[in-house]
Amino acid sequence: MDELEVQRDTQKGKYVTFKSGNEYFGLKIQYVNEIIGYQEITAIPESEEYIKGLINLRGKIIPVIDVRLRFKQDPFEYTDRTCIIVINVNQLVVGLIVEKIAEVVEIQEENILPAPTIGKADKSQNKYVYGIGKVGDQVKLLLDPDRLLNDDEKIALEQITDEEEGEE
Amino acid sequence: MANEFNTGDMLDVYLFENQQLLENLQDMVLAQKDADAFDEDSINEIFRTMHTIKGSSGIMMFDEITKASHKLEDIFFYLRESHPDNVPHQELITCVLDTADFISGELEKISDGGSPDGDATDLLKDLDAFLNKISGGEKGAKADTKKEPEPSAVSQFYIAPASNDDIHYFKIYLTYAKDIEMANMHAFKTVHDLKDIASDLMYAPEDILTNPESADEIVQNGFTILLETSKGEADIRNIVKPGYDLTKVDIYQCSKSDYALGFDSVGSEIRIDLESSVEEIEKKELQKKASEEKKIAPGDFVVEPKSPGKAKKLAKDKPKKVEKTTFISVDIAKMDMLMDLIGELVISQSVVLQNPDLKVPGLVLDNFNKAAGQMCKISTDLQNVIMSMRMVPLTATFQKMNRIVFDMSRKLDKDVEFEMIGDTTEVDKNIIEHISDPLMHLVRNSVDHGIETKEERKAAGKKEKGKVTLSAKTESGKVWITVSDNGGGLDRDKIMAKARSQGILEPGRPESSYSDKEIYQFITLPGFSTNKKVTEYSGRGVGMDVVVSNIQAVGGTLEIESTPGQGSSMILKIPLTLAIIDGIVMTVGNTAFVIETGAVKEFVSVEESMMIHEPNGDESVMIRGECYPVLRIGDKYHLKDYATRVEDGMMVITEVDGQKFCIFVDHLVGKQEIVVKPIPEYVKAVKGLSGCTQLGDGSIALIMDPAGLIN
Repeated sequence: MDELEVQRDTQKGKYVTFKSGNEYFGLKIQYVNEIIGYQEITAIPESEEYIKGLINLRGKIIPVIDVRLRFKQDPFEYTDRTCIIVINVNQLVVGLIVEKIAEVVEIQEENILPAPTIGKADKSQNKYVYGIGKVGDQVKLLLDPDRLLNDDEKIALEQITDEEEGEE
Repeated sequence: MANEFNTGDMLDVYLFENQQLLENLQDMVLAQKDADAFDEDSINEIFRTMHTIKGSSGIMMFDEITKASHKLEDIFFYLRESHPDNVPHQELITCVLDTADFISGELEKISDGGSPDGDATDLLKDLDAFLNKISGGEKGAKADTKKEPEPSAVSQFYIAPASNDDIHYFKIYLTYAKDIEMANMHAFKTVHDLKDIASDLMYAPEDILTNPESADEIVQNGFTILLETSKGEADIRNIVKPGYDLTKVDIYQCSKSDYALGFDSVGSEIRIDLESSVEEIEKKELQKKASEEKKIAPGDFVVEPKSPGKAKKLAKDKPKKVEKTTFISVDIAKMDMLMDLIGELVISQSVVLQNPDLKVPGLVLDNFNKAAGQMCKISTDLQNVIMSMRMVPLTATFQKMNRIVFDMSRKLDKDVEFEMIGDTTEVDKNIIEHISDPLMHLVRNSVDHGIETKEERKAAGKKEKGKVTLSAKTESGKVWITVSDNGGGLDRDKIMAKARSQGILEPGRPESSYSDKEIYQFITLPGFSTNKKVTEYSGRGVGMDVVVSNIQAVGGTLEIESTPGQGSSMILKIPLTLAIIDGIVMTVGNTAFVIETGAVKEFVSVEESMMIHEPNGDESVMIRGECYPVLRIGDKYHLKDYATRVEDGMMVITEVDGQKFCIFVDHLVGKQEIVVKPIPEYVKAVKGLSGCTQLGDGSIALIMDPAGLIN
């Protein structure tokens, strides 16, 4: 068995969990490159509110987004304890600013329920959640990183403007 | 597991080497395009090049490339061995260039991940026709001399060595692949190879060099060689190996008497012909009878020891010997990584050297500072080296233009001389990629529109031969590339008339007030072509605007100069490198910005009294009697905590396309060489920002693009 498969095997079913607002969220561990402490962020003008700016990750410049703002929750103040989870989704490297890293947990396939579609539909973080993992008596909202990073609305909007420009 | 065959690497090497070979080949051919014929060295070189390409393509199983290179190799083999006088040089050049084009086209397909699916059939036909022409022509020329007995001195060419103990006699039958073309050439090559070990040698059919039909005969009946040599069978087998062309090699040893009988002795070594039909064998018998009429005896065979190439045939100017540097090809990603690492090194160096721990009062740091100074020097050198590694000379790009001028001047029937000056000027690799197309366009324009037809030139009292000059030089941190011609120059009135009809002239402005420069700039507008006739090369008016936008994309500019009747020049000014720019670091609020030093005209401190506020909120500033619009970065980008009073900040005067304006910033930090990095794609593009960079302290600064700011 090659190294990569071994790695994948040990990573299977493991999630990095973090707290944002009152809920705990989980991200599949294979998306996570590393977790770094908070560092100075250079803001980029005219970008979305949740894109906080750029950081210098050992010579590589990567964008960072604030997860709370992404979920349209109230902003929070960054402290020394604030962490940045660096994730890599399809070669796109992005830092996620989260309030508090919780732990790495293992969630078995059978303990993952599909995300509820009724009742909580008004909460905007719901569209980024693909499932709910049960760990003991706690639940973690499992995030789809693709949806977290790429805004459907944004893409749709871009398409419209593109078309308009094309017609000119 | 370990012996996994890495074809990817092999393919890379194959592509790289062969592209290099083709480039050299093309240069060599073009260098001698005006000569009467290739010189001996070039013929050998082309032959070797084709041989190498054939070999490596054979290994990689690219059949069409193998065939094409093989055919050209045949032609040059013939040239090398027979030194024909009547080679139409221009046609030969076309042959070589066509073949090189075909192969490089195929290589391109391969490197793009496709398969080389091109069909060489047409090319092969052309090459065959050419080879037939030159070898057939030879036959005609030699027809009279053929009947005369060969001079006796020549027949001694293969005098047997004195010792006769180890003389062996061999009969060699060669069977060639049925689908092979020009089998006579293959056979001749074999004979040529055997010549080295032969003390005497004859072969049938004997007219392989002069009679193209002998090819069919060889394919049909095989090729027979009688050989007298001191070497053994193994040596012969070493020379004559079955390959893709040669399917079977039969070697029989025979006695001296058998040998003396020549080809009549074939009967004593009956070859059972299983492949041919009865009719064919009968036909063969007939042919044999016919050949009996004219017996060939050993010693009759001669290779005309013609003096290699006569003086008049040699290229007039031998190509200058260029000192060759050895190269290795490196993955550009690795280079980028190295560059990133060095950038990191520089930053961590400053972290170490400015470490707060060193600021303890009373600490003696003499030795530390000495060592630190040494380290700084090394890391600066390191930076310079990596920068220079990205720089490549323009030579290859210029050579391409040489080819274009050559092709076009032939097609358009114009006599055009091409001169290159300063082609060794070095430019960043990324930039070269960007300017190659615009440059090609400019050169095409020069040949097509710039240079007049022969008749026009004559009528104007100019030399019939036009001239296009491509020159490059480095000046004030930029590379200037000039394409100039000595043609008719731009027609001011024609451009003006066109501009009038297209309605681009500013209303109310008298036409006489336009300067020549302004008028010439019109031709860079989209859809602007004064050429009425659309040719294969240009005239559709989609060219110059694309040229200009491509050049602008790399931060360059295009200037046009022209003198009626004398010719025109297009001057490209492009930055040396995209990766590192000389920038001025400044801050607005908490954000650091960098602006390219070249874009800055000056810095001015202003006072409120100099400001002009318009009712719509626009601002201008009056500096030394000139009025400049003001752009406040803080306002534009909605930053926090930036200076609002003009006395607290600094005006940066910059110019874009002749329009001057001021950028208002808080502080100037300093001048610095910065490594340009793109803003991650995830963040949508922001107007006025062209990239980002990290500063010495590891923080990130945004690179301002003045042109983007005002649009």
